[in-house]
Amino acid sequence: MQNPILNSRKSFYYYLGIWSIVICFHIFLLYFSGRLSLIKALTDSIITNLLYGAIGLGLWFPIFFGKTDEEKTASTVINNLVGCILAVGFWLGATYFFLVSLFNGDASYLDFMRKSIPWRAGLGILYYEVIILVYYMIILYRHNKENLIKEAELKTLVKESELKSLKSQINPHFLFNSLNSISSLTMIEPSKAQEMIIKLSEFLRYSISNKEEILTSLDQELTNINRYLDIEKTRFGRRMKVNQEINEQCRPLKLPGLILQPLLENAVKYGVYESTDESVIEIVCDCNSSALSITIRNAWDPDFLSNKGEGIGLKNIRSRLRILYNRDDLLSIRKEHQTFEVTIIFPQT
Amino acid sequence: MENIKALIIDDEELARLLIKNYLKDHEGIQIIGECENGFEGARSISELKPDLIFLDIQMPKLNGFEMLELIEEPPQVIFITAHNEFAIRAFEMNAIDYLLKPYSQERLLSAVEKVREKIKSGSVNDKSINQLIQHPLTEKLERIVVKTGTKIRVIPVEKVNYLESQDDYIMVYTDEGKHLKQGTMKYYEDHLDGSKFIRVHRSYIVRIDQVVQLEPYAKDNYILKLKNGTALKVSRNGLKNLKDKLNF
Repeated sequence: MQNPILNSRKSFYYYLGIWSIVICFHIFLLYFSGRLSLIKALTDSIITNLLYGAIGLGLWFPIFFGKTDEEKTASTVINNLVGCILAVGFWLGATYFFLVSLFNGDASYLDFMRKSIPWRAGLGILYYEVIILVYYMIILYRHNKENLIKEAELKTLVKESELKSLKSQINPHFLFNSLNSISSLTMIEPSKAQEMIIKLSEFLRYSISNKEEILTSLDQELTNINRYLDIEKTRFGRRMKVNQEINEQCRPLKLPGLILQPLLENAVKYGVYESTDESVIEIVCDCNSSALSITIRNAWDPDFLSNKGEGIGLKNIRSRLRILYNRDDLLSIRKEHQTFEVTIIFPQT
Repeated sequence: MENIKALIIDDEELARLLIKNYLKDHEGIQIIGECENGFEGARSISELKPDLIFLDIQMPKLNGFEMLELIEEPPQVIFITAHNEFAIRAFEMNAIDYLLKPYSQERLLSAVEKVREKIKSGSVNDKSINQLIQHPLTEKLERIVVKTGTKIRVIPVEKVNYLESQDDYIMVYTDEGKHLKQGTMKYYEDHLDGSKFIRVHRSYIVRIDQVVQLEPYAKDNYILKLKNGTALKVSRNGLKNLKDKLNF
């Protein structure tokens, strides 16, 4: 990754500007303390500081590539110590070499140079620390910004998926048709209308409660499915019949919330919606110590339905089962000439 | 003025009851019958000859559109359905109005009023339908219904090999045979799923699965061979359609 100072023209000018201020200050000190003539103070200061400025740009790379989040404090300290010694040593050597070759033969300057070496070393260390600090701050700042962006992205993703699941749960046609039935019932049988409104409300409340994120009991799931089936029975009357064969011992066992709903919707859609006579939906629940098994069976007429293969509802269930149980073999489908049967096994831990 | 004779065709009893209750005290309209599905509907229309039908779309075996296609001189139609995605097709079938469930008594009466107007003057104000088709949502055809004598056959589109136009009629070819049906190529081009069917000629729409090969024939002319051995002419536009859909 590129040095942030060289990233834009503006930040590079800032960097030069700061060094210019340091250079001026440096000249001021050297000249007015009376140690050096103006020209010598100027040369010394510019060479000393510009060299460090160049080294400072290079320091970005060991900092950036050396950083890992889990790094131990001890090794960070050692890394920085080594970096500091190398940078300051190299800088001192280079300054000495340039300045001494420039002012070769000037005894007073050479004397000043020798005496000032400890001071220069101190200054180099100070520069090093300041530059490193600034770099760390830049890295920290970037990190924070990235995290904020990631967090925002994550939030929108979560919302989108929530919305999608909502849309897939509540079939608008089911809702509007039910409301139409209620509208009709209010004129002929208000108490039945009220009962249906309550069932529909309970069903909707359960459906939007984010139950699909957690495991829930078979008992709860069956209660909700029966609300749905009752509403459809009110709509279709004698055309719809539901047979349930539930092993009572299975009721407390766990399964993912709302996972049966799309299966029942399919059973009603292909069984009841498409039938002129009575159509039976069968629900069979059985279990042993390690698994709960649920089978849903409905009649269907292959002559009237185009064979579209596996719908999106079944695909969603498959992928939910894969995520939750890490298995691909839990859902099975049996299609005979007049019946359609889905069985799901829910492992119990 | 004479009573409007109306027939209700809806598979849900409560939905039929609602229409009857809404119109109970309304003068000038008489419910002469009720049907639970498209087959009954088609039969009752030819027997009772109603002026108006209240028609649901989603019904078992034969949906509202399919039923309507079977009737040679359909009465006035008011669609009453929970599905808003069928409005365009309803309009194409000259529906007087399109009501979305649940709806109010006033809404139903205003639809009936339109029917009265239409019967009186032969024209109608289609504002509500025009509003609905501003937001087109269309479903693709899944079945084609044909009638041979008194027999009604429902053919899933997956079983249709190709369609051929014959004046105002369409010949539907399947592995089992062919069936004549009223309709236009334009209608089927628009309403069949474009990823499954393709118009290759002024007179032919072909199911893409059926295509085996394309052979040059004379200059700038091509012949399309189907799985069952049939050879069909391809027009220049048809060739372009084929190239676009099949990427060659």
